Amino acid sequence: MLSKQNLVTYTIALLFILSLNFFLPRMMPGDPLMAIYGDEALIAMTPELKAHLIERFALDKPLWQQLGAYFLALFQGDLGYSYYYNAPVSSVILGRLPWTLLLVGTSLVLSTMLGIILGIESGWRRGSKTDRAMLAGLMSLNGFPDFFLGMLLLIAFGVTWGIFPLAGALTPYSGLSGLALLFDVLRHLFLPVAALTLAHLTSGYLLTRNTMITVLKEPYMLTAKAKGLSQRVLKYRHAGRNSMLPVVTQTGIWVGRVVTGALFVELVFAYPGVGYLTYEALLARDYPIIQGVFLMVAISVLVANFLIDLSYPKLDPRVSYAY
Amino acid sequence: MLEIKDLRVSYGQDVVLNGIDLELGVGETLAIVGESGTGKTTLGLSIMRLVEGTVRGTIRFNGKDLLTLSDNEMQRIRWSQIAMAFQNANNVLNPVYTVLNQIMEPMIEHGFKSRDEARDRATELLRYFCLPQNRFTAYPHQLSGGEQQKVLLAMAMANDPELLILDEPLSSLDAAARAEVANLLRETDKHCAKLVATHDLDTVSKLADRMAVLYGGKIIEAGPTRDVLSRPRHPYTRALIRAYPNMTMVKDLQGIKGRMARPVSGCPFHPRCTQAIDICRTKTPRLVWNKARHIACHRGGIITLLSTKNLTTSFGSLKAIESVSLNIEAGETLALVGQTGSGKTTLAKTIMGLHQPTEGDVYLEGAKVNNRGKDFYKRVQMVFQNPGESLSHRLSVLEAVMEPLDIQGIGAKEEREKKAIQVLGEVELPQTRDFLNKYPHQLSGGEMQRLAIARALVLAPALLIADEPTVFLDASIQAKILKLLLNLQEQRGLSMLYITHDIAAARKVSDRIAIMLDGRVIEEGPSNEIITAPKQGYTRNLLRAASALRSTGQRR
Amino acid sequence: MHIDLKKEIKESGPGKTGLFILLLMVAMALLAPVIAPYNPYQQSTTSLLPPSLSHWLGTNHVGQDIWSRLVFGARTSLLVGFGVGILSTLLGTIFGVSAALVGGLYEKVLMRIVDAFIVIPMIIVIILISAYIRPSILTLILFLSLLSWQGGARIMRAQALSLKERGNVAAAKSFGASHFYIAWRHVVPDLGPILLVDFIYGVRRAVFMEAGLAFLGITDPTVVSWGMMMRDALSFSYLNVWQWWLVPTGVALSLTIIGLTFVGHAAEPVIEPRLRGAEVA
Repeated sequence: MLSKQNLVTYTIALLFILSLNFFLPRMMPGDPLMAIYGDEALIAMTPELKAHLIERFALDKPLWQQLGAYFLALFQGDLGYSYYYNAPVSSVILGRLPWTLLLVGTSLVLSTMLGIILGIESGWRRGSKTDRAMLAGLMSLNGFPDFFLGMLLLIAFGVTWGIFPLAGALTPYSGLSGLALLFDVLRHLFLPVAALTLAHLTSGYLLTRNTMITVLKEPYMLTAKAKGLSQRVLKYRHAGRNSMLPVVTQTGIWVGRVVTGALFVELVFAYPGVGYLTYEALLARDYPIIQGVFLMVAISVLVANFLIDLSYPKLDPRVSYAY
Repeated sequence: MLEIKDLRVSYGQDVVLNGIDLELGVGETLAIVGESGTGKTTLGLSIMRLVEGTVRGTIRFNGKDLLTLSDNEMQRIRWSQIAMAFQNANNVLNPVYTVLNQIMEPMIEHGFKSRDEARDRATELLRYFCLPQNRFTAYPHQLSGGEQQKVLLAMAMANDPELLILDEPLSSLDAAARAEVANLLRETDKHCAKLVATHDLDTVSKLADRMAVLYGGKIIEAGPTRDVLSRPRHPYTRALIRAYPNMTMVKDLQGIKGRMARPVSGCPFHPRCTQAIDICRTKTPRLVWNKARHIACHRGGIITLLSTKNLTTSFGSLKAIESVSLNIEAGETLALVGQTGSGKTTLAKTIMGLHQPTEGDVYLEGAKVNNRGKDFYKRVQMVFQNPGESLSHRLSVLEAVMEPLDIQGIGAKEEREKKAIQVLGEVELPQTRDFLNKYPHQLSGGEMQRLAIARALVLAPALLIADEPTVFLDASIQAKILKLLLNLQEQRGLSMLYITHDIAAARKVSDRIAIMLDGRVIEEGPSNEIITAPKQGYTRNLLRAASALRSTGQRR
Repeated sequence: MHIDLKKEIKESGPGKTGLFILLLMVAMALLAPVIAPYNPYQQSTTSLLPPSLSHWLGTNHVGQDIWSRLVFGARTSLLVGFGVGILSTLLGTIFGVSAALVGGLYEKVLMRIVDAFIVIPMIIVIILISAYIRPSILTLILFLSLLSWQGGARIMRAQALSLKERGNVAAAKSFGASHFYIAWRHVVPDLGPILLVDFIYGVRRAVFMEAGLAFLGITDPTVVSWGMMMRDALSFSYLNVWQWWLVPTGVALSLTIIGLTFVGHAAEPVIEPRLRGAEVA
């Protein structure tokens, strides 16, 4: 639910992120420019460029002026320049963003929906063999890190059985279009999404199942049964709808988890998204990119949480905006 | 239309319904009356097959035994032919859907109506139950208790069921709404039979043609509502009505002794029944048709304890009492009201055997009383008008109370003493050595009368004849004595013949009143009827002359 | 709490399994020098060997014995796991209980900070920091703890708030007890089971994160870590080596996490008694 409390929370989080981004390089020993750009990049810079950058970031001026320059640049959408990729950081990130959005979006939706459905079915049959098996199975699944799952899937379906491609988002230089292109994208998307979805299925499942157990004891479930409604209607329209509510509150936190999970999965599948970009940047010590990604990811997680908070009252009529 | 035979429902070891038989015809409304936890809700739920325990017996609905149907068939019947309006509690309605939606749901799901038709019909139903228009799309938690109740009723009627099971349908409504909704429900009677489960006698009187009283998992009395409520025949039913505050009864409220507990054998009510005999402890009575009533009691209901037939006592040529025929039932108080010289005391003394009747007979528990021996006096005792006279000034308190025991030769001395001391406690007199050694002239008027009552009770009689017991006492003491008598009746199941000239006092303690004039009983009936609708002019005069605390300046 | 934690775990099937697995891993870690035939760092020229009697799990790309590395890797995971678990539960308790007892502005500010940290995904913060500062094991434990105590703090605060209302606390206050005294003698002892559950889940989270960070290559390369082993194995997915290199390592890691999950799940009814019942036999 959105409230003054939450707004304050988000503001603090935002401030933390921005400060971290700002102070971290400046607290490093040595040349601030190197801290910001990394020693590799520095080698490639001409002295004039260095001077220009020092002026731009006000690195020779007092801290508060640097802060001002920092925020100014941020508001202009200027995240810096990557010398490794030879392009502005923002454009590099934006170029990779769509793939990550595709991956994260699909996985988030699938894992939440599947988690809810499995949770409902499991909760409905609480104590039965099916329930116990699902519970044990999903809790074990939860123990597998997403990158391990990814690697297992890759080896099984990619290497050994060759059903799915081993890397990338598209078949390179294929020149496909239309439906064939779509199919190609889906083929490349399948394993990464599977890994990410499986890795994050359990949270939704457990939460839904637990809520379901409580909900089934409520009086309105007896009323619904008395109405002669079918099992499906009882399970989903009555129990399920009520069991979903806590899941929605948690989704915000799960967004954060799935996004970071995507980082690992992209790495395993060499999927050209922001995650893989981060990995490359870490190897090359391209700080502007790392900072840019961090900022972007952190802020988008905050925004996602915010949006989810906004939508909660629509799902639970007992709650209203508590301004 | 609905026939239930020998229904038994239990949850594990806990037996909730222990053999229920009932019938319901088309368009009839039957009320199942019972206090909390007696299983009335379980009865409703088992008809719908929503009970989670073990269910045995037959529930025949339109010829089919519901207990043998498959889950699918039952599912189809639910809410289409039989519907239930649950007791209004929190979360009986699903909190995430509007009330209109929830009423529409069963219509659509059973395939009776399309979405639009359902919406129209649901709106119609809500309007019928007078729910304000702007509440139709509200969520359950936004409605008041009364509004939620109306929604539950409207929802139950969604598919025009043949049988409607209502669980406490009027309890969460205020008085005005109750009358309103009761009328609305009655208007649907012709095509909708109803089973109303409630503990509230007002609901029963408003909604039901017939009523069945549930106790200990069994039906103990059943019959037309009006009859049962005005002349209950089972001790429990009578006690229930006596305990229920309403504008009709004039007698003070009394509780039921003991607590509700399921005895292992015998009649479920026997631990609390004041006319229980040995067989009641061992054998469970069956529900039988007896004098236009279904009743489950080994003694056929409340027994007549004492009756007189054409009793006449003359002193020479003066007929002190003439052709007096009265009945006193077990556990009830009959007030005998009349002025001085009307023959009240003579009647009492005749019954006690202190006067010989010239005509007529006295019957005790159906048997004619010829000689009054010790046995008679064990069952019938008397408290006289003036305790100062009736208590011997030679006997101490303890001796006085023990005297009847001594005369009857009951038990050893220690036992008698213990009994005496116990009974003193019952009449709220001190049980200290000091007090026990006091003599009557050392006691106050109230204490003396209590002592007299204690003495009368020590033999554990079934009938106590109290002759103007408070006439020599102050008003405040009188109130205490009256309360004491009511309590004793509640605890011991005492019957009382309460003789008084004060019809106002009589009203407060009696179930029935008999008016005596010149040796005859000129009018007799239930107290509330005599008080509110007396037939005889003399009675009306008595009432008019009775004490009434009205401010001066107002004259009738 | 009158619910016996030990009993809860012992009576649950998965709980027992989890405990068993954990004990196995701990044993492996402790006995590492004994059961590892080789020095895990010793490289040799015999790389990418399949399993044999001398090398139970074969060798990796620089000729190191995989089994030895596996066994020593347990040390890293468990060390970081337990270290972070203890430290973050400690911090969570301190902040959570103090927030509940002190209240006022302190509580408000603290809770907003806690909420803020919960929303931010911690891994990317660590990645950012690690890009600048290569963390050693100790610094890693420190950073991970600083970023993960917040979840426990919320739970501790909630519990402390309800414990605060109890009679014995009111009595202590009436004797003039300080916040610290009340916390130490009256609140914390009753938090026992919850502390343990928070600890278990903290360990689990830390094992997860350490493996992930090692997989990314951000942690100390001089320390043997399961995550790092898996990272190395990744480049060789095309060869058969994954069978004895990737899978045992991944399975060891997963089992550890599963063990912790099961034990934590079995202990959960301590906090939420409604969940107890016929769910996991």
